[in-house]
Amino acid sequence: MATTLVIIHGLVAVALLGAITHQTLATWAPAGPRQGSFYGRFRSVPSASFANAIVLLYAVSTLLGAVVYLYFRVDIRPELERDGHWQALGFFDLKEHFNSIGLGLLPAYWVCWQRPLADELGRTRAALTAVIAFIVWSSYLIGHVMNNIMGFGS
Amino acid sequence: MTFSPSFRRFAFAYGTAFAVFYVVALSRDLALFTVFPSLGVVLLGTQHAQDAAPSMGGVPAMYWYGWTATAAIGALIPGFIAMFFPEQWTRRIWLGWLWVVPVFAMVACVYLTMPWFRL
Repeated sequence: MATTLVIIHGLVAVALLGAITHQTLATWAPAGPRQGSFYGRFRSVPSASFANAIVLLYAVSTLLGAVVYLYFRVDIRPELERDGHWQALGFFDLKEHFNSIGLGLLPAYWVCWQRPLADELGRTRAALTAVIAFIVWSSYLIGHVMNNIMGFGS
Repeated sequence: MTFSPSFRRFAFAYGTAFAVFYVVALSRDLALFTVFPSLGVVLLGTQHAQDAAPSMGGVPAMYWYGWTATAAIGALIPGFIAMFFPEQWTRRIWLGWLWVVPVFAMVACVYLTMPWFRL
């Protein structure tokens, strides 16, 4: 059960990672008239259309993470403590804290991206998107390391 | 989908306040409830394992859910208050607080997590 949930959690996180990366690049480095390159096409997406999906994926990913966290606390963390992986546990705590702060920001993020896009929210929208992107990327990387820290099959 | 200006004020105040309340909850250990996953027990408030009941000594306790709940509920108060603020008042507030406060909250979380990295 826990393994299945972790895999689904990971898949949702990958989808979220893709969506927020597209949106962040499209916001901070919008594509010019020449979009022939891969990078040009990557950042030429209509960024506002990603907002609803990002809110949904973030909420689902956090919910799944909250369920998996129960198994982690009982079965995994004691092993990591025994082996002295204190830094990894510290990073995991940070991931949880950042995720919660991101969760609180979701309503504001969603409002900022509602069409028609308000001009006065331009900078705030871009900054908020970058904050969410940082949270998603850091959470993904920390989660990935934690998932593999004991080695496959251990 | 459209939203009212009052909802916009709520969302902006809520997001900012949530970050502040979360750091306060984390630093003051103000969890709305504590989860003991191995026992399947949830107790109101911050309950350190050895304080909750002698029989729970050594049982893993989880506070993250409680801290998040504290922040989520606490932030509703400034959120609802902001809904009733006149539009001309809120226009004077710098919108940058919406991301500056969470960024500072994240830095505060890093500071509060530092003990893990000194072990």
